[in-house]
Amino acid sequence: MQRRVAVIGIGYTPFRPISPDLSFKEMMFEAAQKAYEDAGVCPRHDIDAFVTCEEDFTHGRSIFNIHTPDNIGAVLKRIHTLPAESLYGLADAYMLINTGLVDVMAVESHSKASNMLTPNYLIAHAMDPVYNKPLSYNPYFIAGMEMNRYMHERGVTKEQCALVSVKNKANALLNPEAAYGDRISVDDVLNSEMMFWPLSRLDMSSPADGGIVLVLACEEKARILCDKPIWVRGVGWCSDAPSLETREWGEAVYARLAGEMAYRLAGIEHPRKEVDFAEVDDSFSYKELQHLEALKLCRSGQAGFMVEEGATKREGEFPVNVSGGSLGVGRLDEATGLQKVLEVVLQLRGEAGKRQLPNIKVGLAQSWRGLPANSGAVAILSNE
Amino acid sequence: MPLDKVTQVAQTKPWHGSIPVYGQYTFGIAGERFFRDIKDKGRIMGAKCAECNLVYVPPRIYCERCFGELAKWLEIPNRGVVHTFTVAHADLDGNRLEEPIVVALVKFDGVYGGLVHRLGEVEPDKVTIGMAVEMMLKPKAKRTGSILDIDYFKPIRA
Repeated sequence: MQRRVAVIGIGYTPFRPISPDLSFKEMMFEAAQKAYEDAGVCPRHDIDAFVTCEEDFTHGRSIFNIHTPDNIGAVLKRIHTLPAESLYGLADAYMLINTGLVDVMAVESHSKASNMLTPNYLIAHAMDPVYNKPLSYNPYFIAGMEMNRYMHERGVTKEQCALVSVKNKANALLNPEAAYGDRISVDDVLNSEMMFWPLSRLDMSSPADGGIVLVLACEEKARILCDKPIWVRGVGWCSDAPSLETREWGEAVYARLAGEMAYRLAGIEHPRKEVDFAEVDDSFSYKELQHLEALKLCRSGQAGFMVEEGATKREGEFPVNVSGGSLGVGRLDEATGLQKVLEVVLQLRGEAGKRQLPNIKVGLAQSWRGLPANSGAVAILSNE
Repeated sequence: MPLDKVTQVAQTKPWHGSIPVYGQYTFGIAGERFFRDIKDKGRIMGAKCAECNLVYVPPRIYCERCFGELAKWLEIPNRGVVHTFTVAHADLDGNRLEEPIVVALVKFDGVYGGLVHRLGEVEPDKVTIGMAVEMMLKPKAKRTGSILDIDYFKPIRA
């Protein structure tokens, strides 16, 4: 029998461009301490299993994940680590709790991007070593090529993409934890430094540091421990072909298939009608539009018009990235997906402060793993 | 005891490190064939999946759609079209390029896949999706059996 699973605790550090005061281990400790306090649990006694999601080389070291148990209270307990985007960690916890082997589980991810002194090389070394890497291009060329093809296939304009940056940076001004809130205009985006045409500087998110921990529990424990459980109604994930040569460049197929899986589990037939708001990946401005189409939150080719009409603004009919998204909060490496979940949970709890959305019941969080990957996950959460 | 946090930036110190990791990457059956033919014969080879009727460039020995084994090799014409492209203004270190580089995914007729490379002999603002291009190889004596044996792709003048 399917068990219901809920988020019962959240903990996070502020998201900042730099964090010279805390080591990554102390950042994890701070986020975990807050999450366990919020859930009212002791990790040594109450949490059955843990999962952490980080990539080795983003920390400038190898086999980095042997170093994650001690600072979240997981020593001598069941922990597994994912070199993957953190929404996959949430999906793991959802599944493990569903097996019945585990009742309460913690999911951790963080970014210490400011410690990486040569970040472009991290992405460059992830490309095919024989066919792509020897060309020695700045790896963001992939985003430029994808944006170009997406705009070409769907008739989306550079102005419409720029509106995403304008919206998300403005949203971030109401998020005290966001690092890159700003009031900018479409012209600011269009006139910003041309990086990888058609991708301009302000179409690109900037990195941020920060840690996030979530505590999840089965229904029985959630009812005892928490007065505002946020239910995980469905999860999904998918990887498209990894090679640049055979992948799909216009449509985000990985997001479409991940969304279909999550909708199926959540029993959602008409996403746009049954979901009230979404936090989707916006690592680059066009990505938000591409992902909204893939997730069937608008009709194919309509995402540009949707942002133009203001439908995705905080006060619009379908708010998208009210937290500020990665463009406004900062991109948090593998923790980016958990930041999306965090915002959905805050909103569904009614704890989102000045950016609180009214009358919401169902929210969607979606992640993309980032360059040069084309994989991602989706979670659907609800407060009832 | 309460936790004393660092309150002065001057008191924050990192340890600086690097990872000197060196290795090699095996071309494998399909890579050997592809790069040997580029170097010696100046031609692009693909591998065909008869089941899915897909021709893979770069070639490989498995089909990503049906998981079948691919053993049939085909010569691919060295002319293709620009599937998508970008004009890169920054290099790998993040520095501005004096001359921007046009990077494209070139697709070939009847081929699943293509090749990522730069475009040459063209102004960046003249490049379009769908533009016909042809492969320009380095002189045979300078080829080493790598993707860099291809110098660039250039537009085919009508």
